[in-house]
Amino acid sequence: MKKKLVAATLTAAMILSTGLVTVPVMAKEDGEPYKAALLLNGTLGDKSFYDSANAGLEALQEELGDDKFTFKVEQMGATSADEAKWEPTMYDYCDDGSYDVIICGTYQMLDALTNAAADYPDQKFIFFDEAFDFSTGGEDNVYNVMYKQNEVSYLIGAMAAMMTTDESLDMIDPSNKIIGFLGGMENSVINDFLVGYIQGAKDVDADTQVALAYVGNFYDSAAGKDMALTQYQNGADVGFNVAGSAGLGQIEAAVDAKRYAFGVDSDQAAVLPDYAANIPTSALKNVGNSLIRAIKEDMDGELPYGTLEYLGLSDGGVELVEDDHYKEVVPEEIRTKIEDLKQQIIDGKITVPTALGDDAMSEDDIKALIDSAKVG
Amino acid sequence: MWKAILSPDFFSTILRSATPILFATLASAIAAKSGICNMALEGIMLFSALFGVIFSSLTHSAWLGLLITMVIGGLIGMILAFFILNLKTDEILAAIAINLTATGGTVLIMVAFSGDRGVSSSIRSVSAPTVTLPLIEKIPFIGSVLSGQNVLTWLAILAVILLHLFLYKTPLGLAIRAVGENKNAAESVGISSRKIKYIALIISGVLASMGGFYLSGGYMNMFTKDMSGGRGFIALAASSMGGDTPVGGFLVSLLFGLAQAVANVMQLTSLMPYEIILMVPYLTTLVGLGVYYYGQKKKKERLSGK
Repeated sequence: MKKKLVAATLTAAMILSTGLVTVPVMAKEDGEPYKAALLLNGTLGDKSFYDSANAGLEALQEELGDDKFTFKVEQMGATSADEAKWEPTMYDYCDDGSYDVIICGTYQMLDALTNAAADYPDQKFIFFDEAFDFSTGGEDNVYNVMYKQNEVSYLIGAMAAMMTTDESLDMIDPSNKIIGFLGGMENSVINDFLVGYIQGAKDVDADTQVALAYVGNFYDSAAGKDMALTQYQNGADVGFNVAGSAGLGQIEAAVDAKRYAFGVDSDQAAVLPDYAANIPTSALKNVGNSLIRAIKEDMDGELPYGTLEYLGLSDGGVELVEDDHYKEVVPEEIRTKIEDLKQQIIDGKITVPTALGDDAMSEDDIKALIDSAKVG
Repeated sequence: MWKAILSPDFFSTILRSATPILFATLASAIAAKSGICNMALEGIMLFSALFGVIFSSLTHSAWLGLLITMVIGGLIGMILAFFILNLKTDEILAAIAINLTATGGTVLIMVAFSGDRGVSSSIRSVSAPTVTLPLIEKIPFIGSVLSGQNVLTWLAILAVILLHLFLYKTPLGLAIRAVGENKNAAESVGISSRKIKYIALIISGVLASMGGFYLSGGYMNMFTKDMSGGRGFIALAASSMGGDTPVGGFLVSLLFGLAQAVANVMQLTSLMPYEIILMVPYLTTLVGLGVYYYGQKKKKERLSGK
C-alpha cells in the first residue's frame, strides 16, 4: 500500500513537473523587445565558448537596452547524464514560441537542432561552430555560423616563426627554426588550425620546420606534456596547442623547458596566471561577436537564414588576444608585422589555406604541406 | 631521431611516464595476489589526482596532501572490499561503479571546491619536489637522467622493494598469497580470507592513490578532467604481464615507459601516421604479453615432460 502511494505521488509529481515547464504559447506583439534564448549544452564558467556567447549577448543588451533586446540563458549541462535533456529543452523553448531566435552550438547539438528545425518551421535558429546540413532541404529557418580558425592560426604560425629566431627573447634558442604543434586528434577543425599555422610560419620564413604531435584524445594532459617536452627538448622553442585540456600539458612543458606556448579557445594567459610569462597570446573564436552581428542583422531582417557563413578576422569571428600582457611578451617589431599580416588577410591580399568548407584543401595537399615543413 | 633517443632527456621521459603506471601496477599486483582483480584503479587514480591538488593546497604541504590522499585511496579500496566481500557484488561491476563515479564526481567536487570545471587552475596546489642527487648529479649522462627526478619516482621504486619483501618475506604476505592461491586451504589453517582480502585491497588503494597524486602533483602540476587517461587499465595488463609480482611489474612498467618515449620521438619526425605511433606502447605490451605467456607455456610443458 505504502509503495503504491509513493509510486502514485511520484507519477503525479512527474506529470506536474513536465506540465509546468511548458508555458502556454504567447503571440508576439509589436513593440516588445527582441527575445533570444541561448541553449548551452554545458554551463557558464568554461572561460571559453559559452562564456563568450553569454558575454556577447550581455554586451548587446547593454548597447540596445532592455526595451529592445532581452535574452535568456539555459544551462543544460555537458555530461552524458545531461545529454538526455538537450532535445526536450530545445522543444520546450520551441513550444514557448515567444523567442525570436533560439541559439545553440557545437556538433553535440546538431541532432537536436535538426529535428527541432524540421518540426518548428516558423521558429528561427542560430547555430554556431558546426556545419548544419542544409542539403536535406527546407531548413530556411536556420542561420549557421562557423569560424575561420585558419586565419588566426596563420597569425600564430607567423608569430612563432618570427619568435623562434629572435635573439632578444630570453626563452628562445635562435640556432634553429623549429616550432611545435600539439593536436588532440586529426579532424577537419584541427587540420584547419594546422594548415593555417604551417602556412603562416612558412610565409615568414620558408625554412621553418614544424614538429607535429597528436595526443590521441582531448584529456590526457600528462601525455600531452611528455609529447610537448620531447618537442621542446629537440629544438622547438615555441609551440601551439589545439588539444582541449590535453593541450594544457604543452603549457606546463613550456614552463618546465623555459619555452613558449600559445593558447587556444580561451585567453589561457589569464586562465593560468602562474604560467602567463610562457604564454605570449591565445587564439580565440569570438562566438559573442558573431552572435551580436547575427542578431543585429536579424533585427533589420537581413540575416541570411538557410545559409552557412564563415567568419574570420574581418568580421571579428576569430581574434588574437592583444592585451597588455601580449605587448609585454612579444617584441614590438613582431607585433607590427602581425598587425600588417592581419590587415592583409582582412583586405583579401592573403588567402589562408583551409581544411574546411568548399575551398578545403585535399588530403594530399594537406599531407604535402605537413611534409614540406617536416623536422629533418 | 637517434640523436633524440640517445639524449638523457629520453631516459628521463621513460622514468617519468613509467612512474604512475608502476604505482598502479603494484596496486594491481597485490590485489591479484589476494585473488581479486582490482579494476577500480583508474577511478582511484582519478580521485587521488584531484584530492592531491585539493589537500596539498589546503595544507600548504605536498607531504600532508600525499598522506591524506593515501588515506582516501585506502578508504576507496576498503569501500570496494566492502562491496565485494560483504555485499557479494561482482568485483568488476563494483569497480565500474567506482570508475564512473570518479569521472563525474571529480568534476562535481572541483566545481564545488573552486568553481573550476575543466582545470584546477584556481587551486594553488603544492607539487611533490624533485630530488637532486649531490654526487651522482656530476656524472655525465647518468647524472642528468637520475638527478632531478620527482621524489615520487623514487618512492615508486622503493615501493617495489618493500612490496616484494612484504609479499615474500612476511607472514602477512604469505597469508595474502595463500588466500589468492587457494582460499579454502588458507581458511583451513585459520586464516580469515575476508580480513586478508580487505588488507590487500586497502594497500592496493593506497598504492594507486600515490600514482594518482603523482599525475597532478609531479607529472603535471594541476588537475585536468579525466587525466588518468586509462593508466589504471594499462596497469592491469602490465601487472598480469609481470606475473603479478612487484619486480615483474616494475620491468613491464619500464618497458611501457620506454615504448611511450619512443612513440613521442617517432611523432617528432612524422615517419608514419600518428594513429599507428600512438599504438606503439599498447602493441609493445601486447606482444610482450604474448611472448611471456608463450614462454610460460613452454616451461610448463617441459616440467610436465611432454
